[in-house]
Amino acid sequence: MVRAAEPLTERERAIHALSRLAYGPRPGEVERVLALGVDRWVESQLAPAGIEDAAVERLLAGAPALAMTPAQLRAEFLEAERPENPTPEQRRELQRRKNEPRVQLLRSVLQRAVLSERQALEILTDLWRNHFNVSYTKGGPIEVFLPDWDRSVIRAHALGGFGALLAASAQHPAMLIYLDNAVSRRPATPAELAAIGRRVQRRTGSAERAEEEMELARQKGLNENYARELMELHTLGADNGYSQDDVVAVAEAFTGWTVRRNEGVFEFRNDMHVPGDKRVLGRVIPGDAADGAREGRAILELLAASAGTARFLARKLACRLIRDDPPPEAVEAGAAAYLESQGDIRALAGAIVASPAFWARDSFRAKFKTPFEFVVSALRATGAAVENPDAVLAALREMGQPIYLCDPPTGYADTAEAWLDPGVLAARWQFALDLAEGRIRGARVPPDFHADLQGVAPTDWWRRLAEKLLPAGCSESTQAALRAAGAEFLDAGPPGRRRQLAPRLLGLVLGSPEFQQQ
Amino acid sequence: MTTTRREFLQTTAALAACTGLAPLAAPLRRERAAPALVAVYLRGGADFLNMLIPYRDPAYRAARPGIGLGEEDGVLPLDDQFALHPALAALRPLYQDKRLAPVICTGSPHPTRSHFEAQDFMEYAAPGNHGVREGWISRYLRATARPGASEFRAVALQANLPRALRGEFPALAVPEGKRRRNDVLEQFDSFYGGEGGAVSESGRRTIDILRRFHEIAAAAPAGKEAAYPDADLARRLKTIAGFIRAGAGLEVVGLDYDGWDHHAGQGGIGGRHAEMLRTLAESLAAFYRDLGPHADATLTLCMTEFGRTVRENGNDGTDHGRGGGMLLLGGGVRGGKVYGDWRGLEAKALIEGRDLPVTTDFRDVFASCLAGCFGFEPPRDFFPDYTPALLAAFRR
Repeated sequence: MVRAAEPLTERERAIHALSRLAYGPRPGEVERVLALGVDRWVESQLAPAGIEDAAVERLLAGAPALAMTPAQLRAEFLEAERPENPTPEQRRELQRRKNEPRVQLLRSVLQRAVLSERQALEILTDLWRNHFNVSYTKGGPIEVFLPDWDRSVIRAHALGGFGALLAASAQHPAMLIYLDNAVSRRPATPAELAAIGRRVQRRTGSAERAEEEMELARQKGLNENYARELMELHTLGADNGYSQDDVVAVAEAFTGWTVRRNEGVFEFRNDMHVPGDKRVLGRVIPGDAADGAREGRAILELLAASAGTARFLARKLACRLIRDDPPPEAVEAGAAAYLESQGDIRALAGAIVASPAFWARDSFRAKFKTPFEFVVSALRATGAAVENPDAVLAALREMGQPIYLCDPPTGYADTAEAWLDPGVLAARWQFALDLAEGRIRGARVPPDFHADLQGVAPTDWWRRLAEKLLPAGCSESTQAALRAAGAEFLDAGPPGRRRQLAPRLLGLVLGSPEFQQQ
Repeated sequence: MTTTRREFLQTTAALAACTGLAPLAAPLRRERAAPALVAVYLRGGADFLNMLIPYRDPAYRAARPGIGLGEEDGVLPLDDQFALHPALAALRPLYQDKRLAPVICTGSPHPTRSHFEAQDFMEYAAPGNHGVREGWISRYLRATARPGASEFRAVALQANLPRALRGEFPALAVPEGKRRRNDVLEQFDSFYGGEGGAVSESGRRTIDILRRFHEIAAAAPAGKEAAYPDADLARRLKTIAGFIRAGAGLEVVGLDYDGWDHHAGQGGIGGRHAEMLRTLAESLAAFYRDLGPHADATLTLCMTEFGRTVRENGNDGTDHGRGGGMLLLGGGVRGGKVYGDWRGLEAKALIEGRDLPVTTDFRDVFASCLAGCFGFEPPRDFFPDYTPALLAAFRR
């Protein structure tokens, strides 16, 4: 029995690093990390630019939509010429083209998580993707912006400066649309309303229409959605020293941050902007008549540099990287590193990884995998080749965590409390057996995965598979269950069934309690 | 106990005198065979003011020139003051049969306009108190736990439990979707329930309970020919109706209906909000037909975290507000009447001149549902630091 206070062995440290800064080990990877040295591996993961990533580059070559700007995507996929009276065949093809950017993005998110050598970057990317949640459920024009969002906002800054990440998110059309800032504006002045009335009257000749249009214009105004989530979810955290007045002032400062029609790029429109000074968090942000966008930028800087933001972010990373209830010292260390480095995410992550709590036995295997982590770690552990991830994406939907489809702005939680409900494990078991036994279309465990069982007595296969898939070991009850399942399988069926034994045991290992944790 | 109970009733009566709500008069007793509570959560802050519309109030139209509806739009008057949105037409017969009771201006005393916080406070029924991590429905289940009770007392047909069902009492989350084959459960039978802590326990329960769940669902007697709309909500309600008819001891169901945060493109007579209202109304109407003899014992509570701004925001939508509303339907409801205190839409009646006030604390509605449906009298501090006043909206 290992005592709680006992430090992790070197091998356990390697397993732990691969469970926190990667989506679990691939076959043989624990040994590779040990050979390199755990600390060196961690260090290299936090500096991803130095890691070659050929598999991912090959993948990108097959997904041209990922590199396109929203305007290019629209031209290439959405505005394809529509034949007159299209046949059903042509109509299907048009629809397929329309879906293509989304399909390529969702596939790339999954494939990168499985295949990329820059695993820590993938983990942080996933964290920020949920921190700055945007979702296809918003509908409408958001569709065309998400590949660019994923690339140029989330991934580009995942281990960079938080201030830059925040600024990029604030002016990306995906966020401007998702949280409605694109339509937030100052109310029209009487002179403007009169001008609208005159224009409509001239165009339509109807006084009634003019009156209607004026009334509609009169109603247009401030939208608080982005301002609130900016403070509650993106920076300070709920209940962290801001008031409804602050929300309104921030919303006013961001009026005019919108999306240029047709071109689909950020633009600041002074004519939508509420002029004048804004009082935010007890400070005066001076109104800037020449460049009203400066007010929003000043607020983003103020928020990014706040100690409240530092603690909120540090806690978030500590929950993800250490355990669901990270000790306050680790959070404080992270926050201090963040402030000292002026918001460097790499410094923040580094401080959390360097904290004693990260390597404590209490943190070892302490996290319950989210559905995404479970699926990706299973694909990695089996070395599965994912040629077509659609069936895997569908399984994620069934487990309650479809990619880029989290409707509320909170994003998906990564704590056990949110995912460990009785009933939901059944979806994982199904996936585990389906993957191992070759029933997930487009995702195959390579045929040579079981090659090392040759020469081993079938009654002992379970042991080999458990060692391979559960490097941190498994309980006696899991061992007994595997042993019994293997024996029963061999006894029950015709002799030809033996070929199916290894895949079955693999599925059982993937569905075991131990594989649900990391 | 007696003292507590008397105190409770006295306080209730005193509060009722202030709020115009009737106190709980008779001792509570269990009468019906199998009461069930279906808790539908409209996530995102549903715009109740465009569900139950003060259609004759000029202030309403003035505040909502774009998305507001009036008689010319075919709103469905319930009385002189309120009308249903036309997309809720399927609910109107239920109101006329006195089975539907809307409650207006419900909400939280805590001023948060954050979805996350407001849902948290509401589902844990502890506004402003981040320390409570057990849902109000879960607390009821724990307080009434008894040996030999059905393992299906609490079910959510979705991948995650709503927070109201989270807690010590093990509620069941069954994601809808392709039916899980029973042999998957067989395969993992011996893996769960041994060592391994919370994960192992959760797995053990999953196996035991899903086995029986699928048996019961498969054997449920056929219901009336009910025309459910083609929607996820409707499919889940249909499964639940079968389960309730099967008499398997289902007491509480949690159902999330997402997507009510209409800051933009909400629409009036048509649009996203109207489409969702139609789905909601038609699903519930079909559900009640389908329930057959169980319709009178099944209470549906539709709730949302807050109301929305009285004024439309000019993006064809509304922003987060305060006072909202709830719908009570079926089991024991004294319907055909709008409950709650309405103070009009004059600026002085609004919070910060923009939001409907909260005149009925959501805990009063929750307590009323537990009392009205199950005859459950919440023990002291069931709602931390709060003694609820029961609504007159229930027959007992």
